[in-house]
Amino acid sequence: MTEKHTDKKNAFQLGFSIFILLAFFTAAEFFVAISFASTFLLTMLALTKASLVLYYYMHITKLAKAEANEDRESYAYKTGTNRLGLWLFILSDSFVFGGLLVTRFSLLGTTRPELEQTLGLIVTAMLLISSYFMNRAETAIKHGDRKNFLVSLAITIILGITFLVGVVGIEWQIAPFGPGDGPEGAVFYALTGFHAFHVLTGVIFLLFVFRNGLRGVFDKDEKHWPVEAAAVYWHFIDVVWIIFYPALYLIGTLHG
Amino acid sequence: MKKFINIGLNRGMVYQLIGTLIGAGFVTGIRALMGLPYWAVDDANFGFTEPAWVAGGLLGAIFFMWGTRVMDGWFLWAKGEEPAEHHADPPGWQKYFEPSLDHKVIGVQYTITSLILLSTGGLFALIFRTELSASNIQFLDPQLYNTLMSLHGILMIVSILLGIAGVMNYLVPLMIGAADMTFPRLNAFSFWLAPPAAILLLGSLALGGFDTGWTGYPPLSARAPVGMQMFFLGVFVAGWSSILGALNLIATVLRLRVKGMTAFRLPIFVWAALATSIISLTATQLIGLSFQMVMLQRLFGMGFFDATQGGNPILFQHLFWFYSHPAVYVFVLPGLGIISELLPVFARKPLFGYKWIAMSSLGIALVGFLVWAHHMFTSGMNEYLRVPFMYSTLLVAVPTGVKFFSWVATLWKGKIETPTPMLFILGGIVVFLLGGLTGPPNATVSTDLHLHDTYFIVGHFHDTMFGGYIFPFFAAIYYWFPKVTGRRMNEKLGKLHFWMMTPSFLVLTLGMMQVGLLGMRRRIADYDAALNFDLTNLILTVAAYLIATAVLIFFYNMYISAKKGEEATGNLWRSRSPEWQTPSPIPAHNYDKPFEVIGEPYDYGLADSPYVKFDE
Amino acid sequence: MRHFIILAVLILALTALVYFGLDTIGLLPVSASLQAVTIDWLFDIEIMAISFLFALIIVPLVYSLIVFRRKPGETGDGEYIEGHTKLEITWTLIPLLVVLGLAYLGAWSLGDTLRADPEAMEIKISAFQWGWKFKYPDYGITTTELYLPIDQQVKLVMESSDVIHSFWVPEFRVKQDIIPGQTTELRITPTILGDYKLRCAELCGTEHAYMLADVVVVSEEDLLAWVDAQKALIPDTVGPDPERGEIVVEQNGCIACHSVDGSEGRGPTWLGLFGAEVDLADGTVTLADEAFLIESILDPNATIVAGYPANAMPQFSLTEEEIADILAFIETLQE
Ligand code: HEA
Ligand code: HEA
Ligand code: HEC
Ligand code: CUA
Ligand SMILES: [Cu+2]
Repeated sequence: MTEKHTDKKNAFQLGFSIFILLAFFTAAEFFVAISFASTFLLTMLALTKASLVLYYYMHITKLAKAEANEDRESYAYKTGTNRLGLWLFILSDSFVFGGLLVTRFSLLGTTRPELEQTLGLIVTAMLLISSYFMNRAETAIKHGDRKNFLVSLAITIILGITFLVGVVGIEWQIAPFGPGDGPEGAVFYALTGFHAFHVLTGVIFLLFVFRNGLRGVFDKDEKHWPVEAAAVYWHFIDVVWIIFYPALYLIGTLHG
Repeated sequence: MKKFINIGLNRGMVYQLIGTLIGAGFVTGIRALMGLPYWAVDDANFGFTEPAWVAGGLLGAIFFMWGTRVMDGWFLWAKGEEPAEHHADPPGWQKYFEPSLDHKVIGVQYTITSLILLSTGGLFALIFRTELSASNIQFLDPQLYNTLMSLHGILMIVSILLGIAGVMNYLVPLMIGAADMTFPRLNAFSFWLAPPAAILLLGSLALGGFDTGWTGYPPLSARAPVGMQMFFLGVFVAGWSSILGALNLIATVLRLRVKGMTAFRLPIFVWAALATSIISLTATQLIGLSFQMVMLQRLFGMGFFDATQGGNPILFQHLFWFYSHPAVYVFVLPGLGIISELLPVFARKPLFGYKWIAMSSLGIALVGFLVWAHHMFTSGMNEYLRVPFMYSTLLVAVPTGVKFFSWVATLWKGKIETPTPMLFILGGIVVFLLGGLTGPPNATVSTDLHLHDTYFIVGHFHDTMFGGYIFPFFAAIYYWFPKVTGRRMNEKLGKLHFWMMTPSFLVLTLGMMQVGLLGMRRRIADYDAALNFDLTNLILTVAAYLIATAVLIFFYNMYISAKKGEEATGNLWRSRSPEWQTPSPIPAHNYDKPFEVIGEPYDYGLADSPYVKFDE
Repeated sequence: MRHFIILAVLILALTALVYFGLDTIGLLPVSASLQAVTIDWLFDIEIMAISFLFALIIVPLVYSLIVFRRKPGETGDGEYIEGHTKLEITWTLIPLLVVLGLAYLGAWSLGDTLRADPEAMEIKISAFQWGWKFKYPDYGITTTELYLPIDQQVKLVMESSDVIHSFWVPEFRVKQDIIPGQTTELRITPTILGDYKLRCAELCGTEHAYMLADVVVVSEEDLLAWVDAQKALIPDTVGPDPERGEIVVEQNGCIACHSVDGSEGRGPTWLGLFGAEVDLADGTVTLADEAFLIESILDPNATIVAGYPANAMPQFSLTEEEIADILAFIETLQE
């Protein structure tokens, strides 16, 4: 019991401190961008943020734990395999985003499109905070705290939808260019579009998890792989945005 | 009618048709409501507007998957229920037309689909080769020529992707002693993506075709008819099939090996499959992305590659080749794995330098990621990229060479038997050697300035693809056919197939290289009579027909052997591999008794050295 | 040991056979430029290497198949040889050195083809679907055939108005793609007088196979004479001149698509066009007056004639005078 308790506490604390760090770095990024715009510094900050998230949220460390000689039919072994599968998928998917980033830097170089900075900062904060609640939800279900789980999950979903509304509903409407207006339009709509599509799938995924959570499917102590999967996927989307946000909003000088 | 619709494949196709109409109709409706032109007045669009066709194509593919019911398990899961881990397949041939969770059934499904696409692509080759048999235009108009040529290329490539998926699906779980792939449902899903992809690709033929070659370079592809979009969609869907299949395979190899099967005791084919899958898993996304970007450019005017809008056509080529070069190693690595797998069996000798061969597969895969720009030496990309890419490209020759030398050393002092599978293996080695050796002249930049976009390149890649894929693929079919059916294929017909195909094929590709060097460009519907290529081209066409005849003999052989071939239920080739230690055909759950690896896989010639031991 | 001596002899023999065999067949077209020399030199080295490597694998392969084949009635297995690390290292390292050497030669020979002569004459090339246009800034002429002076480097500055094309004269060896939106360069020093064909080497649509142009390598004097003849063709009048228009239209390749006699082409015929009513693809009808024609020439996609595809006609960079000449010419084409 006590062991479990400290475990729970640790997970929360780590999640919380990482969230604080991320928020801090993002704010730093924002100020670097508006004050002296060092591309190098901004890139470094973005990468630091991404690796922070990877470190904790992405459950990388759990991959190594899968024992070779465990019982193949056990839930734990199968979850290990599922985890590997999900990770391979994320590896594959990140090549899409890598390609989009290459496109962005190849076409726009060190200029950046003219976007609504405040809105960018707000939606980014939304997504970061949502990742924090996702983590809370996961930690909660691990310990059978269903109520907390459902509440945190609901907040995650709402924040995710807010993000979508912010990007697709607002930013797309107020951007000074359309998709057909030169490389800036193409890059902006492609990057945000591909990312928004992933957020959308993530939200749908979370909605299913929420529904099943309501019906008590994950009540049992260890059987919460779908929650973990949704969390990993959600954090992945977050990491992508953590890199896309500076790439679109902050890095580079405004195109003349 | 009821019977017809009860078959998964048919159901899928009917649903695809419905889905296409719904998708296209939906967009048409929306456009009508928004006051946009919703009905294409000129016949270049075939009624629906281009966005409508794209939406239809996409929704059609989704409907296909829905119709086959391959996703039903996931729907259950989404509802929070646990779908059954396995379900019983219908008996007889019917199971091959239904979604099945059995990797052996899926392997056969893949293989058959691959052979169908191979025939279709081959048929297109015969059609346009006939056109090329003499200068001037005989019977194809240039646009149709270009469409057939491009479809030939992409169908063959998709056929390869499905063929290797088939062989890997069938063999890898057996070889590592698993009951199935780790994600059987995902496995079925990956396969069932292939038929709608093929339908989309062929559908392009009905929508004006596309005249860009399989590479689909913009700006040409941004101007091509609507068929272009079907091509992009088809490749995109096929790409997902390949990505998910690779994911499954990697997870299977990492998680489901039997006890004692350590890294260097894996059958060598598994190494090749693993190296291949690493490439498919990651690089394939980039071809999908680059094609989607052209689609977006066409649909929404997003000018990624449109120079008039500040885009850059060269960027497409980088993204495209970042996949499509590694992809050529996807085509050959499994084939080379089959060569390494079978040589010891027929030479009755250990595989020479097992670890080196295993590592060379990984080496080829990894270096293969760093060489893509060798397709762009003349493209006008940044000058300073040419030399580094030449170096990296040539480096691939080193691990490939290791394979060749090790193969020869495996044969040395063996007791070599040459039944049909072995003949195809040997043919494959020779042909792939020719293809490989014509690689360095393409890779050294200055010579490539002459060779690029000529028939020399066409000769080069037919040699590599035939030697690295077609020959080993045929060998694999002859070799494992008894495993699948319990009957062996007819030797006489097999040998006839080999002796008819190989010389004709060598004539075909060497002839291509010769005219290429002399100045024949690729992708032309007609050539200048003044160049004196008529005779050679006629010979090439005849050779093509001979190859096709040989392939028809093969099909005939497959058909009669499956029905009344000589029975072969035991270890026909005296192989050490675990799959041959059980009776053929293999029962649904693979091994009755679990086994354990206690020795080296290729210790032929060493008495009392079993590789696997079955639990009593 | 005996095996290896036989092998060595056979390998050398096969190498020689392949190499000299290929040499007699003659693999490459005439080498007619300075750049071709270094390329052919590298080809020669590579063919030698290929012949040797081919023999190196094929000979032991076939030899094993004959000598080590299973004889009738034999049972049992081959010799138990698992591998040989030193051998493996050898056949990793030696090919590594060989390819590094090849790459070095490749870079060197590439550098040779790029060597720039500051005196080189510049020729501007525009490629379009599906034709070529050559501009000689030094002489102020535009033509559809490429005349090159012998033994003198020319710098080709190339641009495309629609899709990717590629400049290739097989006898000159070097090839360079022509991309819309940026210029690419190629340097060629022809060394043999005569007629050649420029062939577009990048798939550029339906008529790609026919995207050819005549290339003529002439002496310096002949070049000047040709330039004078070209200039003399153009009437020296002031104001729009249908005769000059005809030449402009010829030189810019318009008549590749537009007929002047009413016959069908890739574009609408010009016969009777001027002042006629034209059906457009969007269903409207317009009068083919000067304004319409000028717009159609400068911005071909602004209006599309019914029954013809959009994006078919390339954008041309024509001066105002040239356009006036063209209009004057079209005006003369009445039924
Ligand atoms: C199965 C497919 C396959 C394989 C395995 C290869 C293998 C290689 N290919 Fe090929 N290639 C294609 C399929 C393949 N290729 C296709 C489809 C295209 C055209 C695409 C298109 O435009 O449509 C193409 C085009 C292509 C080009 C672009 C040409 C152009 O368009 O201008 C180049 C250039 O460098 C190239 C190089 C090579 C090299 C160096 C290898 C090497 O991997 C070969 C290595 C093997 C050997 C060298 C032989 C064995 C080695 C030894 C015996 C050791 C000793 C050898 C030496 C020391 C040299 N290939
Ligand atoms: C695995 C790949 C593969 C295979 C097997 C082949 C097989 C053949 N290829 Fe192909 N080819 C490519 C891949 C392949 N090709 C690619 C990628 C391109 C580049 C396209 C591009 O430039 O974009 C190309 C381009 C290409 C060209 C150049 C076209 C051009 O540049 O204009 C030529 C020209 O001769 C050619 C010929 C042939 C021939 C004669 C065969 C023969 O071997 C075919 C033999 C016939 C068969 C194997 C079918 C036999 C079966 C039947 C006849 C039964 C029919 C019955 C039913 C349908 C039920 N191919
Ligand atoms: C590759 C083919 C091609 C070339 C070269 C070409 N055109 Fe066209 N042209 C077309 C096509 C197709 C159309 C009809 C579609 C459209 O309106 O864009 C057209 C339309 C026109 C029209 C519109 C009026 C009409 O009804 O005919 C004019 C004027 C014209 N071209 C002039 C020119 C001139 C001048 C040149 C050369 C400087 C030229 N074209 C070169 C293909 C070509
Ligand atoms: Cu221009 Cu091909
Ligand atoms: Cu390549």
